Amino acid sequence: MDSGLYIAASGMLAEMVRQEQISNQLANVNTPGYKADRATQAGFGELLLQNTRTGASVGRLSLGVEIAETSTDLAPAGIHETGEPLDFAVEGEGFFAVRTAAGVRYTRNGQFSTDAEGNLTDQLGDSVLGAGGAPVRLRGDGTVAPGDIGVFQVEGAQKQGDNLYTGNATGAATGKVRAGFLEESAVNPSQTMVQLISSFRSLEADQKSIQTIDETLSESAGQVGAIS
Amino acid sequence: MDTALTTAAAGMEAQQAWMDALSGDIANVSTTGYKSQRVGFRDLLYQSPGRGGAAGTTTGSGAAAEVIGQNLEQGTLEATERPLDVALTTPGYIKVRAAGGGVALTRDGNLQIGPDGQLRTATGQALQPPVRIPKGVDPEDISIAPDGTVSAGKRTLGRIALVEVTNPDGLQADGENGFLPTAASGPVRAARGARVQQGALEASNVDMASVMTAMTEAQQGYALSGKAVTTQDEVLAVANGLIR
Repeated sequence: MDSGLYIAASGMLAEMVRQEQISNQLANVNTPGYKADRATQAGFGELLLQNTRTGASVGRLSLGVEIAETSTDLAPAGIHETGEPLDFAVEGEGFFAVRTAAGVRYTRNGQFSTDAEGNLTDQLGDSVLGAGGAPVRLRGDGTVAPGDIGVFQVEGAQKQGDNLYTGNATGAATGKVRAGFLEESAVNPSQTMVQLISSFRSLEADQKSIQTIDETLSESAGQVGAIS
Repeated sequence: MDTALTTAAAGMEAQQAWMDALSGDIANVSTTGYKSQRVGFRDLLYQSPGRGGAAGTTTGSGAAAEVIGQNLEQGTLEATERPLDVALTTPGYIKVRAAGGGVALTRDGNLQIGPDGQLRTATGQALQPPVRIPKGVDPEDISIAPDGTVSAGKRTLGRIALVEVTNPDGLQADGENGFLPTAASGPVRAARGARVQQGALEASNVDMASVMTAMTEAQQGYALSGKAVTTQDEVLAVANGLIR
C-alpha cells in the first residue's frame, strides 16, 4: 500500500504527543520552580529508493516521524518575593533535596511546610534535607535559616511528577537559598500558545495528506479500473 | 488518546483551587486575626506517551494545587481603645474551650463578658482556663498585661493562656475563627514570650493588592488551560474527520 498513508499517520501521532506535552506546560504556568520541557521530533530512518528495472537510485524516503526525545530546560527562572517565611527559592543553579519513601529526590519548588516534629517538609510531607543529608529543623520562632537548607548539583535530572526529579547528586551547587522568595514557572505563556497552535495546524496538515492519499487510492480503485 | 484532554483539565482545576483560596481570603479581608492561605502547586506524574513517542520519552499529566497552610505574617494592629480587646503581637494563639469540648485556638481577641461573668470570644467560646470577671467590676477598670494577666485595680482575676503548636499548618479550622489541634499540628503548649496588647485588635493579614494580582494570574492560567482543552477537543475532531 501507499507508504505515504503511514508517514502522515505517524506525523499525526507525534503531534498528539506534542499536544499532551504542551497541555502539561500550560497546566503548570503557575507552578513555582516548574521547568519547561521540549519535545524533539525525528524520522524513523530512511529508505533508499531504487528503480526496480535499472537499479538507478531515485532518492530517499522517510518512514515517518516520532517524538524521539523529551528534554527539560533546567535554566534558572526569575524569582519573586512572597514574604512567606517558609517559601524558598534557589537563586542560580542547584536543587533542594527531599527524602521520600522511594529515596532522595530533588526539587526546585520551595513551597515548604512543617510537620508535627518541627522538621521542614515539602508539600507532600517529605523532609527537606540539609547540606549534610540530615532533615532541616525549624528554629524556635518558626523560621528556617536559609543556610541550613542544602543545595545540590544533580546529574541526569529527570522529572517524575509532584515537583520531584530523580538523579544523582554530585555535591553542593553554586545556587543560594533565598527565604521568602519563590522561583517562577519557566513556562512562557505566549510562546507555548504559539507552539499549541502550530502543532495543531501540523496535525491538520497530516490529516489532509491522509485524506488526499485516500482519494488518490479511491481514484485508482474506482476510476482507473472502471470499464466505461 | 484523551490524555492531553485530562492534562489540560487538571490544569484548569489547579487554577480553580487557587482561585477558591483567594476568594476565601477576600471574604475574610475584615476578619480579626485571619491569616491568608498558602496554596502549593505541583506537577503530576510523568509517563510514556505510548505510540508517537520513542522509548524513554515522557509527558506530564498536568498540575494540582491545594492549600498547604497559612501565611503567618503578623497582621497590623488596629487600636480600638476597648479594654476587653487584645491583640497578639507575636506568633501564638489564645486558648479557648472548643464548642464540642476540648481546646481551640484563636487569634481573635475581641473578648466579651458572658452572662456567667466569664470572658468569652466574640463567638461565645470561654477562655481556657476560664477568667471570671466578678459582678460590679467596671470593664473600663480591667487591665490586661502583655503576658495576658487580667486584673482589676490591684486584684488579679486570671490569665489569658497564650499557646502555640509546632506546626500551625496542621491546625484544622473550626469555623468560628479559630482552630483545633490535630496530630499533624502537634500538641498545644504554652507559648513562651508570646505577648498581647490591650485595646487593640489584629487585622486580617490579607493584602488586597497581592490577592488581586494573584487572581489575575490564576485567571490567566485558567484561560490558558481552557484554551488547551478546546484545542484538544479540536484535535480529536480532526482525528475523527479521517473517516468521511
